[in-house]
Amino acid sequence: MTAGLPTPLRAAFPFAAAAALLAGSALLYAASWSRIGPAPGEELLYFPSGVFVRQASLGFETAAADAAWLRAIQYYGEHRLTDQKFQRIDHVMAVVTDLDPAFESAYVFGAFVLAQELRRPEEGLALLTKGRHANPESWRLAFETGFLHYVCRHDYAAASSCFVQASRLPGHPDYVERFAAFASQRSGNRDLAVLLWKRVLATGNRYMQEVAKRELARLEAPEAL
Amino acid sequence: MTRVAAIAKNTLREVARERVFLVLVLFGLGLAGVSLVLAPLALGEGSKVVLDFGLAGASALSTLVVIVLGSSLLHKELDRRTIYAVMAKPIRRSEFLFGKYAGLWIGAAALLATMIALTAVLLLLSGGAFPWTVGGALLLSLAELMIVTGVVVFFSSFTTPLLTAFFTAATLLAGHFAEDLLYFGTHGASRLLAALTQGAYWLLPHLEVFNARGLVVHGVAVGQDRLLFAAAYAALYGGALLAAAAAVFERRDFK
Repeated sequence: MTAGLPTPLRAAFPFAAAAALLAGSALLYAASWSRIGPAPGEELLYFPSGVFVRQASLGFETAAADAAWLRAIQYYGEHRLTDQKFQRIDHVMAVVTDLDPAFESAYVFGAFVLAQELRRPEEGLALLTKGRHANPESWRLAFETGFLHYVCRHDYAAASSCFVQASRLPGHPDYVERFAAFASQRSGNRDLAVLLWKRVLATGNRYMQEVAKRELARLEAPEAL
Repeated sequence: MTRVAAIAKNTLREVARERVFLVLVLFGLGLAGVSLVLAPLALGEGSKVVLDFGLAGASALSTLVVIVLGSSLLHKELDRRTIYAVMAKPIRRSEFLFGKYAGLWIGAAALLATMIALTAVLLLLSGGAFPWTVGGALLLSLAELMIVTGVVVFFSSFTTPLLTAFFTAATLLAGHFAEDLLYFGTHGASRLLAALTQGAYWLLPHLEVFNARGLVVHGVAVGQDRLLFAAAYAALYGGALLAAAAAVFERRDFK
């Protein structure tokens, strides 16, 4: 096939053929996969359970948890920009936390999305409870549980109790004690909700900060006063 | 002892000749990719992602290097007939085997330590604190490599490179499922099956002993008792494998 070509071209032919075939496969994928692949909302339908992935990860559970975490963020980010449907976030966060039970950010972010974005606070609290069972010394998870009780469920007594618990756990920052004191004095107070959202604005990830800005704008609007 | 050291030195040279540094290049590029591309997407968990992938990659690649290089280490000597020249000297077969084991382990250990050091430096350069806790993970992985190297040397003492690689991978895989094997074998199975699974359970290497990555990535240091236990287990299990390999190798017909 290359017999009539000059030597340099003949030598380059296999590389050119390989490059052309690779480009062809990429073009085919780009043109057809969106039609043939999973429909939007179905992409995590076959995401395996955490127990299975844990077995299959062969001792690399935390690296597998990170891969699942990155997938969860991608899933959330994509749907947040489009149809606001991230119904499978509970499943993928369950997988992440099954693989790495000490991954606090996964509990916090998963619970936040479930409670605040999907209006499923009980499921958010269940995820945080799972985290608190696995990490009983975590002030952060106790504090976030209080946050959800206060902001999403308006259960001020439970929130106050959680803030107090968080203030008794090792490594807590000073503001946890202030919230514990403030919550017991001013249950249901709008100012405390504003302070809690400001705390999310200061410490949360960029998605949580966006929600915090929205909630702060709502709480500080004249009709909310 | 000097005879074992001489064989080990030679094996180490042989390992270096296989261009193992290319593994380091691959690892470095992969880790830099993770750090540049994935870490910013991890919503504040970038350091954890880099450390996780760094430790997992270092452990997996060093295990792979031991399997790939180790499975053909003895076979090459037989194939090239260089073993006859060695055996003509006043050296016992077991010493030859121990030297091969030591050389392979030292080569893989150096590779592993460099990869983990690269991970720590990358984390430091990206603005994080130096993750001192990786020291514990490194020591455990070094102990794990003692067992992996022992398994490779054991199988290579009596079988072909391909089968050595296959049996080693299968043993390591089964080692990760040892607890499940015991569970299924002792829950509702017949007495014979229960006895067999229990036997397999104690025979297989319990590699979970050496896995502290889940602690280390969350900043928890590996306890001294865990390190001592892992070192003792690796020494005993690795020693048992070497003794068995030496026993088989002593009886092996090189013709």
